[in-house]
Amino acid sequence: MTTRYRRMQWMTALGVTMTLALGACGGGSGESAAGGPIVIGISLPLTGDFSEPGKGVQRGYEAWAKITNENGGLLGRQVELKILDDQSNADRVVADYEQLIGQEQVDLVVGPFSTRLVVPAARVAEEYGMLFVEPAGAAKEVFEQGFKNLFYAAPAVANDHYNHLADYLLALPEDQKPKTAAYAAMDDPFAQGTAYGLKEKLEAAGIRTLVNEVYPPNTTDFGSIAAKIAASKADLVVGGSQYQDGVNLIVALQQLQYQPKLAAFSTAPTNPEFAAAIGNKTEGILSPTGYAQDAPYPSNQEFVQKYTAQFGAAPEEDEANAYTTGQVVAAAVTAVGCAEQGECQQKLVEWVRNNTVETVVGPLSWDETGKPKGAHMIQQWLGGEIKIVLPADAKEADLVYPKPAW
Amino acid sequence: MPSGALLFQSVILGLLLGGLYALLAAGLTLYFGIMRVVMIAHSAFLILAAYLAWWSHSRLGVDPLLSMIVTVPLFFGFGVLLQRMLLARLRPVTLTMMSVLLTFAIALTIEGLLGYVFTGTQRRIQLGYGSASFGLFGARIAVVKLIAFGLAAVALLTLYLLMKKTTFGWALRATIQHRDAARLVGIETERIAGYGFGIGLATAAVGGTALALDTTIYPSLHWHWIGPLMAIIVVGGLGSVPGAAMAAMVLGLTQSLLQIPLGTTWAQTIFYLALFATLAFRPQGFFGGRLAQRF
Repeated sequence: MTTRYRRMQWMTALGVTMTLALGACGGGSGESAAGGPIVIGISLPLTGDFSEPGKGVQRGYEAWAKITNENGGLLGRQVELKILDDQSNADRVVADYEQLIGQEQVDLVVGPFSTRLVVPAARVAEEYGMLFVEPAGAAKEVFEQGFKNLFYAAPAVANDHYNHLADYLLALPEDQKPKTAAYAAMDDPFAQGTAYGLKEKLEAAGIRTLVNEVYPPNTTDFGSIAAKIAASKADLVVGGSQYQDGVNLIVALQQLQYQPKLAAFSTAPTNPEFAAAIGNKTEGILSPTGYAQDAPYPSNQEFVQKYTAQFGAAPEEDEANAYTTGQVVAAAVTAVGCAEQGECQQKLVEWVRNNTVETVVGPLSWDETGKPKGAHMIQQWLGGEIKIVLPADAKEADLVYPKPAW
Repeated sequence: MPSGALLFQSVILGLLLGGLYALLAAGLTLYFGIMRVVMIAHSAFLILAAYLAWWSHSRLGVDPLLSMIVTVPLFFGFGVLLQRMLLARLRPVTLTMMSVLLTFAIALTIEGLLGYVFTGTQRRIQLGYGSASFGLFGARIAVVKLIAFGLAAVALLTLYLLMKKTTFGWALRATIQHRDAARLVGIETERIAGYGFGIGLATAAVGGTALALDTTIYPSLHWHWIGPLMAIIVVGGLGSVPGAAMAAMVLGLTQSLLQIPLGTTWAQTIFYLALFATLAFRPQGFFGGRLAQRF
C-alpha cells in the first residue's frame, strides 16, 4: 500500500512537472509544434473502487506507448502519456478530461476504466469533438447515449460474448443439439448481459429454459441454486458470473454431482487462480474471453513478449484492452496523417468508423454507435489447460461436446 | 411444483446451513447475555478466523481444521482482553449504544487490516475433498458442508455442557441472569464476564474455520453476515444460546426452501421479515430468553 501510495505521489509530481514544462513550451499557441511529442491525455481510476483494474489499464497504455516509441513513434513523433487519477469518481473524471483537453491541450484522448466512468468521460470528449476510443464500458447503456465519437476497443459487448458458442450449438445436427438449459446470473449488468445474450439466441432456436436464477453480488451460499439446476437435469448450464460466484457455483454443482453436457461461465474460468480454486476439476468448462495471450493475431506476440519483459508478468484482459485502444488510435493517426485538436479529430473519427483495425484481440470494426461488431473467443478447459476452441480461425483445439465429466 | 427430490435436497441443504448459522450466531447472543453488548465486530472476527484458516492451509500446508488449535485459544485470549480493556470501561448507562460504536470501529479495523495484509482478492481454501459428496436417499451431502455442520454441533454441545455442568457455567449463567445477585453470592462477575466474552470469541474462531471450508472469503464479507446473525439472535431471544440455535435452524431451513419459489434475492429477506415480526409481536424472542424487554 505504501509503495502504491508513493508511486501515486510520484506520478502526481510528475504530472505537475509535465504540466509546467508544457505550459512553458506551449506559450500562447497551445498546439504542440510538429516534431514535438504527441501528447495523449488519460484519466484512470488509480485509487478507489476500480484501482485494481485501473492500474491494469495503465500498464496496458504504458506498454503501448513504450512499444510505439521503440518502433519510431507516430508520424515520426514520440508518444507521451499524460495520466491523471480520477479516484474512481465520476465527477473527477469529467474535471480531468476537461483539464486535459481544455487547459493542457493534449493532442488526443483515450478512455478510462469501467462503464460508470466511460459515459461521463465520453460526454466531455464529445463536447470538444475529440475522438474517444475506450478500453472498458461494455454495457449496452454506453451505446445508447448517442455518442458519435466513441468506439469500444474490444471484440464484443457483453451480450455478444457467447455468439460463437451459440452459432456452434445451433449448427449441431438435430439429434445432438441440446434441448434444455439452466441459467444463473449475478445481479449485475455485465454478468447478466453475457448469460442473457446466449439465452436469447438459444430460446429463439427452441432450447427450453428450465432454470433462470438471478443472485445478488454478495451471495456466498450457492447450495440452493445448484440444487435447482441439478434437479432440472438441464443439458446446458450457463453462468453469468464474475469470479467468486462462478467458483462457488461450480463447486456447489459438483457437490451435487450434476453432469451437464456443456458448462459455460463468464470471466471466472479465465482467472489464473481458477483451476486451483475448484480443486482442478475443470474438465470441459467453457468461457468467453476477450483476450488470450496465445491468440494468433500478428501484433499479439510482440505485445505479450515486450509487455512481459517490461512488467515481469504476462498481460491480462484489462492490459490488452488498453493496448488495443492505443492500436486503434495509432492506426487512425497513421492513416489520416494528423494528431491534434480541431478538424483532425473529425477525420480520425470518420476513419475509425469506416475501417477495420488489426489488433491484439483480432480485427475490430464498429457500428454507428461505436459498438464493436465481433464476438469473444471461446476457451475450454481441456486436459488441465484452457485452450481457444472457437472461432475456427483462432482455435488451438477442438471444442469437446458433450463435455467430459468434471 | 418442485419435485420431491429437489424439496428433499433443499431440506438437507437448509439443515446444514442452519447448523452453520447456529454456530456463527452463538457467540453473538452470548455477548449480549453477558454484557448487553451489541457486538458488531463478531462477524469481522469470523472472517479473520476464516482468513487464518485459509492462510495456514495455503501458506503452511496445514489442514484448515488444525488452524483452530491456534485460533481458538488466541481468540479466547483476545476476547478476554477486549472485554477487560475496552468494553468494561464503557459507562453502564450508555453501554449498549457505545458498544455498537466501539465494536463497529473494531470491525472496520479488522476489515482494513485484512485488506492490507491479504489484499481484496477473493480467496477460497482449495481442498482435495472440496467437491466430494455422498448420497443419502437420492440427495447429495457435500463432505465440507457436513464437516462444517459437525463443527457447529460439537462446538454448540461443548458450549451447552460448559454452561450447564460446570461451576464456571453456573457462575456465567448467574452473571447473565442477575449480575448484582451473582455478586452477592460471591461470584467475581467482572472476571466471569471477561471469560464469557472470550468464549464467545472462541466460537467465532470455530465458526470462521467452518465458514472458510465451503465459500470464498474477502475482507468486507462480514457486512453480509452481521444482518442475518443479528436477526437470528433476536428471533431466538437475546442472550439465549439454545434459542439462537433453534432460530438459526428454522431460518436456515426456511431460507433454503424459499429459494425454490422466490430465488436467492428474495429468500434472504426472510431474516428481516422474521426480525420485524419478532420485534412487533414477541420482542422477547420465540425460543426463550427474557432479556429483550430490557433492550
